[in-house]
Amino acid sequence: MKLKKIIIAMAIGSLSAVASAANYADFPVTVKGYQGDKTTSVSYGGQTARHLLHNALKELAYKGNGKPNPELLAQMNAYFSGTAENRGILNPVSKDGFKVAETNIDELSKGKNLAGKTYKGVVSGWPGNQTAVEVLEFFIKKASESDQGFDYVNGMDYPQLISKFAMGAIFYNQAVDSYLDEKLAADVKPNDKPYKEGAAYTGKEHVWDEAFGYFGVPVNGTTVSVNDTSAISKSSKDVFAKADINGNGKVDLGSEMIYAHASYAAGADKAGNSNYLKTITQAFIDGRQLITDAKGEKLSVEERKALMEYADVIKTNWELVIAESAFKYAGSVYADALALQAGIEKNEDVKDAFKSYLHHWGELKGFSLALQTGGKDLGGFAVSLNRLIGYSPVLLGNTQVTGIDSEGNYEQESSIDLNEFALHMLKVQKLLADKYPLQARLKDKLGNLAALSEKLGAGNSTEND
Amino acid sequence: MDNFLSEYWDDLSSLFSNSQQRLFWGYLLCAMFIAALYSLKNNTEPLFTKFTNAFGFPHWFSKSAIADYKMIIINKAIYLLCNPLLLGKLTVATFIFEGMHQLVGHRNLDIETPGWIIVTAFTLFIFTFDDFARFYTHKIMHEVHWLWEFHKTHHSATTLTPLSVLRTHPVEGLLFAIRGALVQGISIGVFIFLFDDKVDLFTVLNVNIILFVFNVTGANLRHSHISIGYYKCIEKYFISPAQHHIHHSTSPRHFNKNYGAILAVWDKLFNTFHHSESDVTLQYGLSKNQLANEQTLKKLYLSAFINSYRIIKKRLFTYSLRFSRSKSNTVNEPQ
Repeated sequence: MKLKKIIIAMAIGSLSAVASAANYADFPVTVKGYQGDKTTSVSYGGQTARHLLHNALKELAYKGNGKPNPELLAQMNAYFSGTAENRGILNPVSKDGFKVAETNIDELSKGKNLAGKTYKGVVSGWPGNQTAVEVLEFFIKKASESDQGFDYVNGMDYPQLISKFAMGAIFYNQAVDSYLDEKLAADVKPNDKPYKEGAAYTGKEHVWDEAFGYFGVPVNGTTVSVNDTSAISKSSKDVFAKADINGNGKVDLGSEMIYAHASYAAGADKAGNSNYLKTITQAFIDGRQLITDAKGEKLSVEERKALMEYADVIKTNWELVIAESAFKYAGSVYADALALQAGIEKNEDVKDAFKSYLHHWGELKGFSLALQTGGKDLGGFAVSLNRLIGYSPVLLGNTQVTGIDSEGNYEQESSIDLNEFALHMLKVQKLLADKYPLQARLKDKLGNLAALSEKLGAGNSTEND
Repeated sequence: MDNFLSEYWDDLSSLFSNSQQRLFWGYLLCAMFIAALYSLKNNTEPLFTKFTNAFGFPHWFSKSAIADYKMIIINKAIYLLCNPLLLGKLTVATFIFEGMHQLVGHRNLDIETPGWIIVTAFTLFIFTFDDFARFYTHKIMHEVHWLWEFHKTHHSATTLTPLSVLRTHPVEGLLFAIRGALVQGISIGVFIFLFDDKVDLFTVLNVNIILFVFNVTGANLRHSHISIGYYKCIEKYFISPAQHHIHHSTSPRHFNKNYGAILAVWDKLFNTFHHSESDVTLQYGLSKNQLANEQTLKKLYLSAFINSYRIIKKRLFTYSLRFSRSKSNTVNEPQ
C-alpha cells in the first residue's frame, strides 16, 4: 500500500516537474488581443523598486550623528514616502567582483514609495495607538537623531526596527493580506482581462507576480543553493557567477538579487532542518504556471481552488519564516542579556555587549511586530508576545520603556532585571514554538534540554533491583 | 485501538531490541557467555550438564518465572496507559532550568572548560545520581511498611531469571518512572544551565558508557541462578551478582542488605552492606515457607493494595488515638 502511494507521488512529482517551469521567468503573454511587443507577461518591477527603497532606508538609518538632523530626515522620507525621480540605489551597489546592473530606482519602476503600501491597521505592540505608517515615521525621525542608528538611553537600534517591521508591514502584508487573499477572488482582477489597458499581463498574472516580487527571491530560487543565496544577499564576489543567471556580466536587481524575507528563509534553511525558500518559490512557480495554462481565459472554479491552495502554502510558510526569525533572535537576546549581566558583575567594559543586545532586540521586536501584520487576529498569542518582549529591552538600571509622551519622548519605569528578562526570552521561544510548527529553530535555548532528554531515553526507569 | 496495539507491541518488543534496556539481546548474550565460562570453570559435571546448568533451563519454566512473564505483558499495557499522566523529565528539566535563572542568576558564560571535561562530568554525574536514587528508593521500598507491600511482588520470585528485573508491581513501576524523570530532569536542567550546548553524554549504542559496561559485564546475572561473586576488595565498590542474590535470600540475616544497583558505596554508607557468600546455598523469595499462591496474578497485583491499605488505616487510627489522648490530657490538666 505504502509502495503504491510512493509510486503515485513520484509519478505526480515527475509530471509536475515536466509541466512546471524551473524558473519564475519567461511565462508567455496570454492576454487576448495584446498588441504590444513584450514576449513575457512576468512583471514585478514595482516590488523590486520597493525592496530597494527599503534597503536604502535601512542604510540611511545608520547615518545619524546623535543630533536632530533635518537633512538626513528628509533623505529618509524621500525613500519612505516620496515619489521623486532619480533616487539612487544605496544597497546593493557595484563593488569589486560584484557588478550590479542598476544604479537608480527609476530603472526598475518610477514613482513608487513605501508609505502608500504600508499596513493600515493599528500596531498594538508599540505604544501610542499608532498605525503602521505612523510607527515607521516615528522610527525614521528617531533614527535621524540617533547615534549611528542607536539610542543607548532607551535601548533602540532603529535600522533593525525599521527594516524588520517594514518588511512585515509592507511586503508581507501586501502579499498575504492583499495579493494572495482578496485579489485572488473570482471577480477581482480576472484572468480574461488585461491588468490595465494595454498591459502584457492578465489581472491574475500580475496579482501573482506582485506577490512573488514582494517575497524577494531570484527567479532561480528553487535550484540555487541556500548557501549561495545567502552569499548573494551579501553581494559576495565568490558567488557572482551564480548570481548572474543570464550571464550578462552584471547582476540584474529585478530578477537576480535576493531581498527581505526570501533572504531570511534561506538563512533558516541553511541549518538543513527546513526548506522554506524552495517550498515558497515552487508554490509561486506552480501557481504562475497554472494561471499561464489558463491561456488568458477566466479561471475555472477548480483552477481557482488549486491556485488558492498554492497561495495557502506560500502564506503559511512565509509566516513561519517570520516566526523562525523572531525565535532565533529571542535566543540571541537571551544569550546577550546573560552575557551583559555577567560583564556588569565583573566590572568589565560592556559597551559592545550592550550594543549587540540592542541590535538583537531590535531584530526580535521588528520581526515580532511584523508577524502581527498578516491580517490575522493572533489574539492572546500576540498579547503575550508583546508583553514578554516589551517596548524596549531591559536597560542597565533595570528600567524599560513603558510609553511615549505627547512630545514623542520615551517614558521609562522600573522593571525586571536582566536575568528575568533572559527568562522572558525563553518564554518567547516557547510561545512561538507552541504556536507554530517551527522546523529550523535556530538558537533554540530550550531545544538543548529536549535533545539531551531524548538522548537519555526512557531506559531503565521501570527495572527493579 | 490499532494505534494502542501497535505502540504496545513496539514497547514490548523494544525490551529486547533497544540497547537502553537491560534485556537487550546483546546484553543477554553477554550474560550467557559469562555464565557458560563460569560454569565450565567451576563445575565438575560432564560438559553437557555444565552448559545446561549455565543456561538454567528448568528455572525458565518455573511457576515463579511464568508469573514474571505474565506481569511483564500486563504491566506494559498499564504503563502505556499511564504514561501521559506521569511527570515528564523534560517538564522537570525546564522547571529546573528556569528556576536556576531566578535562584542563581546568570551562568559563567565565558567558562573555558574543554568540552570533553563537561561531557565526562555529565556522564559521571548522571550515572552516580541515578545509582544513588535507585539505592535510596530501594531502601525506602523495603523500610516503609506500606511501600514494602508493593516491593514484595518483586521479592516473591522464588527463582530468578533475567526477566525478573521487570517483575514489578505497577505502583512501584510508576514510582520508579517518577524517580527517573526527577533524576534525569534535574541533571539536564542544571548542566544545560551551566554549560549550555556543550553538555553531552558519552554513549555506546545510545547508552551511557558506564551503564553499557555494567550491562555487558553480566548485569543480567543479578537476577539468575549463577552466583558470581567478586573479590572482596572489588565488592566494596561494585555490587556483584552474588551480592544481589544475598538481597533476595530468605535467610533473615540477609534481610535488608545490599540495596545498591551498581555501586556498593551507598550500602557501606548506610550500613546495609553484605559480602557475597560462596559456601552458602541460597533460597529466594519472601520466606522459606512461602505459600504456593504467591505466584498467582491476583496475589501479585491485589495483595499489595489490601495490605498497604490496612497498614495505612492502622497507622492513621494510631495517630488519631494519640492525638485525642494528648488533647484530653491537655483539657484535664489541673489549672
